[in-house]
Parts: sequence; structure tokens; C-alpha cells
Amino acid sequence: MSEQITEKDHTINENYRQKPKVAVYVCHCGGNISDIIDVKKVAEELSKYPNVAISREYAFMCSSTGQDYIVEDIRNNGINRVVIAACSPALHELTFRGALSRAGLNPYLYEHVNIREQASWVHKNDKEGATLKAISLTKAGVEKILRQDPLNSIRVEAVRGVAIIGGGIAGMRSALSCADNGLDVSIMEKSGSLGGNLNRKGKVYPSGKEAFEIANELSKKVLSNPKIKVYLNSEISFIGGYVGNFQLNVKKSDGKFEKVKAGAIIMATGFSHYKPQKGEYGFGLADRVVTLPEFENLLENSGEKALEISGKKVSSVAFMHCVGSRQIDGIDAPGKNGKVNEYCSRICCGSIISSANRLKEKFPEISVFDIYTDMRTYGMEHEKYYKKASENDIIFFRRPLEERPKVEIGVEKVNIKTKDVLTMNEEMEIEADLLVLGTGMEPNDISDLVEYLKLPRSSDGFLQEVHPKLRPVEVANNGIFLAGTAQGPMDIKETLQAANTASVKAAALLSSPDIPLDPFVAVVDEDKCTGCGLCPKECSYEGALIMIEKDVKGKKKKVASVNPALCKGCGACAAVCEPRAINVAGWTLDQFDAMVEAIAKE
Amino acid sequence: MKVNPNFLKKVKKYGAFDISKCFNCGNCTAVCPLSAEDASFPRKMIRYAQVGAQKEIESSLDPWLCYYCGECSDTCPRQAYPGEFMMTLRRYLIAKYDITGISGFFYRFPWIQNILVAGIFAFSLGAFAVYKGDFQELAAKIELAFPVYVTLAIAAYVFTFYRKTILDKAKKILISFDFSNIKETLIHGLTQKNFSGCSDTDRTRWIAHLLVMSGYTLTLVISNLHLLEPLKKHYGISDFATFLVFYAAFAILAGGFIMMYRRAKKKAQSSSFSHSTDWLFVVMLFLIGFTTAVVHISNMILGPQDPRVEMLYKINIAVEVAWIIIIVPFTKWIHIFFRPMAVYLRNLKKEEAQGKLFSMPIPGLK
Repeated sequence: MSEQITEKDHTINENYRQKPKVAVYVCHCGGNISDIIDVKKVAEELSKYPNVAISREYAFMCSSTGQDYIVEDIRNNGINRVVIAACSPALHELTFRGALSRAGLNPYLYEHVNIREQASWVHKNDKEGATLKAISLTKAGVEKILRQDPLNSIRVEAVRGVAIIGGGIAGMRSALSCADNGLDVSIMEKSGSLGGNLNRKGKVYPSGKEAFEIANELSKKVLSNPKIKVYLNSEISFIGGYVGNFQLNVKKSDGKFEKVKAGAIIMATGFSHYKPQKGEYGFGLADRVVTLPEFENLLENSGEKALEISGKKVSSVAFMHCVGSRQIDGIDAPGKNGKVNEYCSRICCGSIISSANRLKEKFPEISVFDIYTDMRTYGMEHEKYYKKASENDIIFFRRPLEERPKVEIGVEKVNIKTKDVLTMNEEMEIEADLLVLGTGMEPNDISDLVEYLKLPRSSDGFLQEVHPKLRPVEVANNGIFLAGTAQGPMDIKETLQAANTASVKAAALLSSPDIPLDPFVAVVDEDKCTGCGLCPKECSYEGALIMIEKDVKGKKKKVASVNPALCKGCGACAAVCEPRAINVAGWTLDQFDAMVEAIAKE
Repeated sequence: MKVNPNFLKKVKKYGAFDISKCFNCGNCTAVCPLSAEDASFPRKMIRYAQVGAQKEIESSLDPWLCYYCGECSDTCPRQAYPGEFMMTLRRYLIAKYDITGISGFFYRFPWIQNILVAGIFAFSLGAFAVYKGDFQELAAKIELAFPVYVTLAIAAYVFTFYRKTILDKAKKILISFDFSNIKETLIHGLTQKNFSGCSDTDRTRWIAHLLVMSGYTLTLVISNLHLLEPLKKHYGISDFATFLVFYAAFAILAGGFIMMYRRAKKKAQSSSFSHSTDWLFVVMLFLIGFTTAVVHISNMILGPQDPRVEMLYKINIAVEVAWIIIIVPFTKWIHIFFRPMAVYLRNLKKEEAQGKLFSMPIPGLK
């Protein structure tokens, strides 16, 4: 495995080998810091600290003028280590690494000290204390950077192929976009055909197109694309490897196994319709209570003259929103996973309104009732459907969130009793021939895949992205992207957008022959390592840390060996190593010692 | 409350074609000057109509307290025209409170009403033309028959109104003798003070309405008391009767003209949706004022013996006959009584809640 790892030194300035000359910059953050902390005092105190050659304060270090100070000090004043006391490193660490690189210094010879979130913002009422804390933290930063090695990002050779799990529209759209970007694509689909939940009769909003037609259009393109290989009726028995080098064991339809290699994985595992429990709003007690997908089928297959259920003409239909969505613990019965679905499935309001409108347009004489909690027709133009529904004489009822309408199955009718906010909270009694339950979305059961890849899931059971705004389709595991409803309820448009985003991210990742990774991983000092074998037991990441036999200075020796591509830099191994033979690069125990020392000195 | 999806279809026969668009946001209630903590105008009525709460609507005073300033329609985000819906409810309720059912029939088939009005007018005129006796005597008899007929019609309406709004619920007769209530009712009845409650007061509309109403009431008094005998007396400019006729004619003509102009130009929300019965109402009103004035002026110029005066007088009486027979009992005319009554009954309900009311149990009503 290690032969796939190459090192590329992208720095030219070697002056870190000389005597350390540290520059400290204290940022005002436009008052966010300087209103509380005496930044001048911090800079002054630091200027007296050993090995600090320059100490400045400035309004906005992240501005181009601020960055220029750093570049000039490195170029002209022989600065070879930098400490910036400013905001959170999550915000500007990369900005300042860039500045160091531009000046020709190794970008990792810089320490970002957070004196905003950790000092000025949290000690608003104690200016003096905040200033003292900022001084201590910055001194610790200096001590840390003095012991910092010039690190280099790890580069991993990557397979220029993508494995897509799931052959619904998300998977198909991702496959086509990846193929367009020149990547080889494999789609693993567990059922016998592509299309997923769109393989059904019935129209979809907002286009009013037939669902299966959309699926067919995409699947034709997918099947005829030479860069895409489709595995139908397939099962994934194991996934191993790491970013750039994933391996999937695929059990094919003929029962034979195939090993598929991929540089990235796109999870397009989709959703299932919520299945109401027996007796939930009368479901399963009579054929006059159906789910929305069942109703769609019924409406599509009905004749032009009348809507019939079990041979009886239907003259009134009630739709119930939020079935299996926005459930409340203690009010609703938990599902198989022992939990209630607290989330909003988002698409049901639009789907119900769209179905109800089509029902009204096909059979205007049918009375239609709609019992909702909050009308969430959130999409562009979706409000139009809602308005149209009113114009179609659909009668709306709004139940309070914690109220559950009572459904009684009569001889001929379904009787629904609900409190109605719109009618001054009065108890309403609605009689309908047919009750349609607007069932929500649930994630498909992919616990095996979650187990293989150690994927993060939200409390709702859907796969979870790193950050909803900053990294919307990426998971914490490198090289794995999310497409569509595997991540949470989405409509078709949003699913396609997510699928395209995921494939673009995958293509960008695999655009060069090797992938750069952060160097903050465990490194082993083979001289110190005793070969005790304690550390691999602590490691949570399959294959990241193993014991090997190796020639060390002419002697065969058992030592710990790290696969940098799999290591997450958690430090669990360092905690159990008594001789300090294993450390996380950039965060060594010696550095921590020095930082604690600096803070505790006063 | 049982939901009845068919009720709104019935109401829509009287207008309010857009009310289904209402999604109960409550903007109308927020701007309505009549809204109070316990009175949600006009959303409550709209909602009751949507879910088919027929009983609640037919026992409500709300439609009669609304003076259609139209602010709700102006602010409605869905163009559901709530103000016009309240107007429609008034039509629906008049039809409902009419024990003969003829009003409802006219509202649904307004052309039949037009034909009947024209027919009665033509028939009367024809009968008057061939009448050989003393026409002044006949006119006196006809005008004396009017109050009897009208009183019967009003009594039936007023009783049904009272029964639906009070009796059916309270199961006993409730009467308020409170002086301030009676005073308020009279003031509202005579001046339509509620118009000024519309926060963006439309003075022209109020003045037009007041002119028409005062002129009309005066005409009613003149004819019912048989104050005019244009075929017997020669009226001069200084006669008191001349003053009354001129005021009534001016008030009806000026007010009627403003109303027709506003309906034609759709000046305000209240005049943008004219039901054809509204047109018949103002046109007939206009004609009454006009013919009365023409008869009087021609009498002043030509003298009571001139056959032309007699001809004009016959037209005038024929118009009144058509008006009294068709318009008074079967159109929105009755709102003259319902509006002040609604004020009176609203106060009565308040007093009842405070427990200071005269009540009389009815034997057998439980």
C-alpha cells in the first residue's frame, strides 16, 4: 500500500533549518477582538518572548495588506515561523497557509491561535482577564511552532473511476455527469432495473411528466454510455480501501463476485416510502385507507367516468399530511428502529396538492378534503399548486402539530375527526369515501454499507454531510459523496442537483493523478518503537495502523506502520505509546508539553 | 361540526365566485374595522361557508354589521374578495329568511325578476289606461293597500330574522329595553353611522346612501299618507308638499345617480361586483324619484285637469306598483330593517351575557 504514497516537496525556502525567528501577528478582527482585548499589550508582551523576532497587531490580518505583512517579513526579515492570534482556524487557516506558501515558506510552519471564540467573545465582561488569556494562548502557540516540523501534504495515487451505489435517478444522473467528466463509472443496483422509485405509473410535479418516462430517458442514456458499467441485481459484500483506492466486492446477478476499484464512491442509495403501521389512521383496517403512492396508482388506472375502490364509486376523498413525518415522541408509535420520524419529509405537501389537483381536474364532482399541519409547498412555483387547489374547491383543514386526527372506519365511509385551527380550533367531522395518507420518506436500510465505510448518519437515520452549506454533499470520510435522498428528503429537482454536485466533487477530486491529503497523521519513530503492539488495538480505522517486520538499521524489527491515507490523526495510538515512538504530525506530545508549560508558567 | 362540502356551492349561486381562493390567512380580519377580540370579521364567515356550517351562518349577525368598505378585498393576497363574499351572504340570507322562497328564486334567475317588474308595470299601466273611473280615487286606494302589503312582508322577514338569530338558540324570547341600545339602533337606522366605522371613510358613498334613503323614506311617507293628489289639487312652489317632493326627488336622483355612476365605473370595492338585481334596484329607485318629480312639476305648470298630467301620474303609480310588489319584499330592500336590527340584537346578546335582559320562556320550546 505504501508504494502508492509519494512525497512532493512544494517549498523552496529552507530557512527553517536556521535559528528560529518567529513572527507574531495579533488581529483586531475589526473590533471583534480589539474591543475586549488590549491587542497592543498582547503584541508588546509577545515581542519580549524568547525567539520572537517580530510582533505586530493589525485591524484585519486576513485582508491583502495583512497578508502582505507576513509575506514581506518572511522575505525581508528572515522570519521562518509564524503565529497568528486571530479568529477560528476553521475560517482562515487556509488563507494564511497560502500566504506562507507565496513567501516560499513551508505552509505548516504557522500556528493559528484562536483569541476570538476562545477569549474576546467568551470573556466580554472581563477585558483584563481576556487579555491575559490571549497572551498565554499566543505564547503557547509560539512554543508549539518552535517544535513544528516542516510538513508536506501526503499525496495518494488515485484510480480514475467512480463507484455509484444505487441506480435511481440520483445514481443515473451522477453516472452520466461523471462519465461526461471522463471518469469510468460503475453503478451497483440491487434491483433488476434502473430507475428506483420512479419506476412507477403516475405523474410527478412540477412538470406533470410520467415518472417512468423520466426514469426511462435517463436509463437509456446510462445503458448506452460506454464509460458506464451497470451491475443489476447486485449486492455489495464488502468495501475497503481509502480515498483514491476504494475496492468493492460486488456479488453479481450470476452469483459470481467481482472486485470493482474506484477512486471515489457516490452514495445514491435513496429512500423508501413510509409504511404506516396497522391501525395508524385506519391503515390496514379497510381498503378505503390507502397511501399516497397507492392512490397515485389508483388514479392512473381509473377509467374516465368514475374513481372506484373495490368496485364502489368514490365521491369524496380526504388527504392526510405528515403521515410518518414530523412525529412526536410519546404521541406516535416508534418505528422498527425504535425511533419516531421527527423530520419533515418536505415533498409530501407538494405531492399531495399535485395529486389532489389532478383528482379534481379528472373528476370535478368529487369533494376533496386536505388535512395538513403546516402547508410547506416550499419549492419555486409550488405555491401556485396550492392556490390552484383552493380554486379547485379543495377544502383545507389545519390540525395542531400535536393533535392526531381520529379515524373511524364506517360501513360505507371513513369518518375523520380533527381539531381545526382554521375554524377557530373547533372539532370537525369529515366524512369521506377514501382516505389517502401522505406518507413521507425514510432512508433505505443500508446499515451494511454504513458499517463497511463507517459513514456518519444524522439522528434521522439519513447519511450526514460535513456541513449543510460549506460542504453539502461530502461526508467526513474522504472520497465519499452523497447524491439525492440518501441524505434526506428531496424532490426530483433537488435530487438531480445534488447528484450533479456530487459528481462534480468526485471529478474534481480525481482530476489529477494523485490526491493531496492533510499531513496531520500518525508517524512512527522506528528507532524508538519497541514493537509492543499496543497501538493497533486502539486504532478505530480499519488498516490505518498495523505491525510489520522491517529492517531497521540492518536489524529485523517488529514496528508499527501507518497508512497515511487511512489515518484520521485522532491520536488514540499516541496516547498508549509509552516511549513516545508514535505521534501525530503537527500535534506531537512534545509540542503539547511545551504549550502546557507556557500556559502554566505564570 | 360536520363538514358539508356542498354548502358553498349553494352560496356561490348568489355571487362570491372567488371565495374558494381564501386560504384563511386572516389579513381581512386584521384590517377590518369591525374586528374585535371576540369578533373575527370577515374570516369567520368565510371559514364557516367553506366547511358548510350552514346553521352558524344563518344565525349570524355579522353580515349585517358589515358596511362593505372593501378594505378586506383590497388587502386579500389571493384576490378572494372577502367584502363581496359578505355582500353575497346578505343576498343568501335574504333568500333564506324569505318564507316564500321567491327572493332566492329571483337572485338565481334575475331575468325572471326583470320580466316580472316590466310585466307588472305594463299591466298596471294598461289597466290604468282603460280605467274609466276617477283615477285619483283609485290611486288613493292603491296607495292605502301598500302599507298593509309591505307590513306583512316586513313582519315575516323580521320574525324569521329574530327566530334564526335569537330564538333558535336561546329557546326563549329576549328583549332589550335598554335606552342606549334603542338609541344606538335608531341612530344607525337613520344615519347609517356604521359607514364612518370604515377606517378609510368613503364619504361620497355614505352621502349618496343617506340621500337615497332619506328621499326614499320621504316618498314612502308621502304616498302612504296620500299627501299628494296631483289630479285634484294645483300645487304651487311655496306649498309644503312641493318642498317634500322636491327634496325627495332631488335626494333620490342625486344619490341614485352617484350610485349608478359608481357601479358603472366600479369606483370602489363595494361597487365593483354588481349583481343584476342591484341594477334593477337602483334603476327602479331612480325611476320612482324621477316620475314623482315629473308628475309634480307638470301639475304645477299644467294644472290638475290636464290629461298629460293624468298620463304621467298613471306611469308614476305603475312604477310604484311594480316596486312595491316585486322589489320591496323580494330584494335587498329589506336590509333597511336588518341592519339596525343587527345592531340591536348584537347589543342584546351582550346584555344577555351580562344577565340583565328581559326574557320570556316560550311554553313547549325546549
